[in-house]
Amino acid sequence: MSLSKFILITAAFVSSVASAAEIKAIKITKDLSKLTAFEDSIWKGAREESISLMAQPMANPRPKTTTTQLVKVQAVHDGQWIAFKLRWNAESKNEAGKLGQFSDAVALQFPVKEGPPPPVFMGAKDHPVHIFHWRAQYQRDHEKGKPEMTDLYPNMNPDMYPMEFKDPGHVEGLTEEKREVYSPGKAAGNPQSYQKAGAVDEIFAEGFGSSSVIQNRMSVGQGTFKKGEWTVVIARPLKRENGSVLEPGKGSYVAFAVWQGSKQEVGSRKSVTMTWTPLQVNGQ
Amino acid sequence: MAKVKNWHLKREMEYPYEESRPKRQWAIVFDLNKCIACQTCSLACKTTWTSGKGQEYMFWNNVETKPYGSYPLAWDVRVLEKLGHQQWERHEPYHGKTIFEAAEPSERAVHFHPTDEDWMYPNNGEDDCAGNVPHGDHINLPHDKWFFYLPRTCAHCTYPACLASCPRKAIYKREEDGIVLIDQSRCKGYGECVRACPYKKSMYNPYTRVSEKCVGCYPAVEQGYQPMCVQNCIGKIRIMGFVNPPWKSREDNPVDYLIHKKGLALPYYPQLGLEPNIYYIPPVHANREYLAQMFGPHVDEAIERYQKLREDPVAQGLLVLMGSTDRIIHSFKVTSGIAYGFDEKGDEIVRVPVTEPILERAAFDPKYGTVRNNTP
Repeated sequence: MSLSKFILITAAFVSSVASAAEIKAIKITKDLSKLTAFEDSIWKGAREESISLMAQPMANPRPKTTTTQLVKVQAVHDGQWIAFKLRWNAESKNEAGKLGQFSDAVALQFPVKEGPPPPVFMGAKDHPVHIFHWRAQYQRDHEKGKPEMTDLYPNMNPDMYPMEFKDPGHVEGLTEEKREVYSPGKAAGNPQSYQKAGAVDEIFAEGFGSSSVIQNRMSVGQGTFKKGEWTVVIARPLKRENGSVLEPGKGSYVAFAVWQGSKQEVGSRKSVTMTWTPLQVNGQ
Repeated sequence: MAKVKNWHLKREMEYPYEESRPKRQWAIVFDLNKCIACQTCSLACKTTWTSGKGQEYMFWNNVETKPYGSYPLAWDVRVLEKLGHQQWERHEPYHGKTIFEAAEPSERAVHFHPTDEDWMYPNNGEDDCAGNVPHGDHINLPHDKWFFYLPRTCAHCTYPACLASCPRKAIYKREEDGIVLIDQSRCKGYGECVRACPYKKSMYNPYTRVSEKCVGCYPAVEQGYQPMCVQNCIGKIRIMGFVNPPWKSREDNPVDYLIHKKGLALPYYPQLGLEPNIYYIPPVHANREYLAQMFGPHVDEAIERYQKLREDPVAQGLLVLMGSTDRIIHSFKVTSGIAYGFDEKGDEIVRVPVTEPILERAAFDPKYGTVRNNTP
């Protein structure tokens, strides 16, 4: 038996068993629904857990080596919202843009249904998971706007774009709808092709390759890169209708994934937790 | 990995998904002896599909000069280098490895990742000859100094590497015509298809942040028309049709006739294992070892047959049908020096004389009272 097969089988067995670490979200009095509430003081008293990650082992293409060994996690809640502070080491800050440039990213994953958690590797058919995916690229979008071609290639000089063609004497130029025809991703309504409204995408998945971004995202995120380390805060309402529901005083589970843009990680090339981590949302 | 049948290789091979052949398979045959690299096909495609933002350097159809031209930079030699030395004996199944079989355990296919800069020189190497022609040299056949033009679209492969590598399953092959499409609403721009396609025909759009590729002009194909690159080919070197596997080959189907019946047209880099569906009539004057590497071990026979076409009025008739209609020719016949093309229902859509009649005009035009001369 090859090593990779052995890892696959082992992973299948351990996938629904929780790890030894446990994350406790302590209750605080500040309003977490506002980004400005993420100052350092709110994290005092929240224990930081170190969670081990491994190169995603289940679906090809996958990374050959683990690029993110650890993610450090703290959690707090205010009775309505819960926030996670995630820290991990990264070589450099990567916000994607051109071909072959990929974004640093982190994701939190929660079970949607009550009871024993679904397979940790993005759930399974009829066992959905709810994912909160922060990308440095989306944060850049949110802060500076979606990059134009002139931002990505300042020295490029295209003659003209039919989508921007204007004949002042006769027509006003094209409507936005007609312009979109020249951008297939936009015309097809792909959320990837539009300016992101926030740094966090909310996603539902029922197994590898099934993830889809949901429209009415409510979560917020804020990341800072300093001295080779990302610190990212992701906040979400405790209760998401038809999605992940967390209740104070009740246990649940959370799983993590990290992408290193500098290592061309994207999609299935990522480091992940091999088990669910128990999550306690403190009642008091 | 599933075992699938690849008739280009005359054997079964490994592929991530089960064999599932479409009802019919989109295919183009190119006669490389006629291509002059005018790039009308590239422009026809560009103005139809890729004039938007993020598509500035995107050519779903391109024409490159072989051996030195390439788009993206050195795509062919880099993928062959990654695959490593493989052997293919004439009249034997291919015993070497395909890009799927040679893949590392963590990957779907042997690949290289072209950089952004690799796409920025679409006419790199254009018209470069394989060797210098010193003063006073003369040319023998086949030429020892040679080059030829290679027009390329997506090959809408039977076993696409782009489709195999997409972790989101955002790429699909249409059952009705075998056209391979990237779902523009599901793609997240991971670029796995850009890495995996050995022909480098998946391209990343940094403006929409998703990948795009040749769509086989499916809206035209659905209406019974050939793709824009075929319709606009001024050299009439192309014909688009539906190719059958050899066990279902139909002699009156133009592309089946050229590929199966006559063995004139060959797939390019079949050893990669994708069963690509663009086929080439190889150039008669280029280096045979290079051609064998590109078109497989049957290239000598294909060239020999091509050179004997004078003796074959049916094949000649078919070659004049190429470029003579915008419609898709589903079947053809050649009788009494006339070639006929028919649509799906069997109705005639085009007829062409195999040899254009020669009209001789007297040197003196009595009507205008002037001497005619052939001034170009």
